[in-house]
Amino acid sequence: MDVTVFAQQIANGLVNGMAYVLIATGLTLVFGVLRIVNFAHGEFYMLGAYLTYFAGTLLGLDYITAALLGAVVVAALGVAANKLIFWPLRRDHEFTILLSSLGLALLIANSGELLFGADPKYVESPFADEVLDIGTVTLTQQRVLVFGAAVAVLVAVYLFIRYSRFGKMMRATAQNPDGAALTGINIGLVHSYTFALACGLAALSGALVGPTVMIFPTIGNWAVLKGFIVVIMGGLGSVTGALFAGLLLGVIESLGGGYISLGFMEAIGYAMIIAVLLWRPNGLFSTARGLR
Amino acid sequence: MSTHTTAPTGGTAAGVPGGIPGGTLGLAGGALLLGVLPFLAGNAYLEHLLVLWMLYALLALSLNIIIGYLGELSFGHAAFVGVGAYTSAILSTQLGLPPLIGLPLAGIVAALFGLVIGYAALRVVGPQFAILTLGFGSILYTVTNHWVDLTRGPMGISNIPPLSLGPITFAEARETYYLVLALVLIVAFLCHALVNSRTGRAFIAVRENAPLAASLGVNVFHTKLLGFVVATAIAGVGGAIYAHYIKVITPDIMGVHNVAALIIVVVVGGRGTIAGPILGALVYIGLLESLRVAGPLRMVVFAALLTGTVVFLPGGLVSLWSRWRGPRHAEGGAK
Repeated sequence: MDVTVFAQQIANGLVNGMAYVLIATGLTLVFGVLRIVNFAHGEFYMLGAYLTYFAGTLLGLDYITAALLGAVVVAALGVAANKLIFWPLRRDHEFTILLSSLGLALLIANSGELLFGADPKYVESPFADEVLDIGTVTLTQQRVLVFGAAVAVLVAVYLFIRYSRFGKMMRATAQNPDGAALTGINIGLVHSYTFALACGLAALSGALVGPTVMIFPTIGNWAVLKGFIVVIMGGLGSVTGALFAGLLLGVIESLGGGYISLGFMEAIGYAMIIAVLLWRPNGLFSTARGLR
Repeated sequence: MSTHTTAPTGGTAAGVPGGIPGGTLGLAGGALLLGVLPFLAGNAYLEHLLVLWMLYALLALSLNIIIGYLGELSFGHAAFVGVGAYTSAILSTQLGLPPLIGLPLAGIVAALFGLVIGYAALRVVGPQFAILTLGFGSILYTVTNHWVDLTRGPMGISNIPPLSLGPITFAEARETYYLVLALVLIVAFLCHALVNSRTGRAFIAVRENAPLAASLGVNVFHTKLLGFVVATAIAGVGGAIYAHYIKVITPDIMGVHNVAALIIVVVVGGRGTIAGPILGALVYIGLLESLRVAGPLRMVVFAALLTGTVVFLPGGLVSLWSRWRGPRHAEGGAK
């Protein structure tokens, strides 16, 4: 086995994996705090990529500003979706919530196809064509940016949840919503901010990954599936689990694609979760209810 | 859920009231109406739509066993439809097997896939199960799309011969309609019999309260696995009939659109009832065709329909009937 190729595969896998982690962190936060399995999460990823594209082409903003603007707008859309659909349904059966999030996903994806057109688009980024050599490994600057920005954002999110006053309110709500409400925590506000954070992360991930691939209105399906695999494998509600599972999935897909078959790369990823779930049905990092 | 009493419906388009004693007349009327529908349709296009309606009704009835009776949401059902369709298509085009043998084999192969996948996925419940079935569905889709030697990949399989039974060939819409109608009625009757059987009561008990059902001696895992395998077998047969009728299949049959379509049919019609999926299939096919000019807006309408039904009418369209009857009965016929 060629060491250079192997190292390159690992590096590619880690970059892809980090993007998965960014998507999955939002999913797992929403599940942990709001107990919602949000099928529409991938659509916010899609919206993030498209808004970055349009902010760049129509408003003429530079890539970084466009990405940040996209994330903020999508976070606001997430709050609106929560207020309109999920908040009124919060006492309903999990089926109702799951199905309405599926409805929302179809709604956004197909409205996107209507508004943006089905043809693929490329997000312009000044980093997409510049190459960076790290030892024997070669990566585009954009892919280094994906990894670096994701690490920075995840550290910030971790510190926020761990130490800020609001993060403590989120964790309290995750552990026991009624108890949290009794101590004076505004549950509605916590739900809104958690949703905003989750959707913002999804959009940021879309904006970061956008320049490395083609974007089209149905990429949300792909994103939510990857996110779900990671979240299920890591354990629903576990941020740490999402981190390990996301990187693991990225690396295994990359190695599977490189050494076995590129076409079956996706199937290898899915087969992996099944293996994990047969061994640990609730995921690698599952424990009692709450955010970790 | 499906045990509310209603008077005979007098034969509405979907007049197969689910598990209702005293509804026998309506049932017979409904079946009769379904039987003469192709003669009323008058042209080939409408007959084709009737076949699609019955096919979706059959697939939705099978998904309804999982969603309605087991109380689990499967996002991988279209994959089993695809497995059945591909099994029968490959057997008849590559091995030259008569489609009549391919049909039961399609059901058996789909059931085997259902057994393996159900065995792994049913260890978890609720949202995790839904996501796992989505993952399994995606595996089957990816493999179908890339195993070009067997499935011809994205090109799909074409020139699939029509089904034939002795001298009868199911090439035209009308014959296929009667074949699928017969299957729908059989499956509807089986669902009806199931709900009133010991096994069916075990299904409902598991849906309502799994720990309680377990404490009463119901093997929850085996009960769910049984329901899942039966549902996937029916889906496989339905897929095979679809393949032989349309004559062309591509991996899209397993795609997310078809998964969503089946869920929309079951939920909008009314999960846990027998009339619900049949009515839902009528609404789905009707809207699909009448909104054909609207293009991508179609799926937006379906998505709104799904969300709207879930939020405002959790029992689906069939619950409108009891809702409409309910108050008038309560007020003793007064307006």
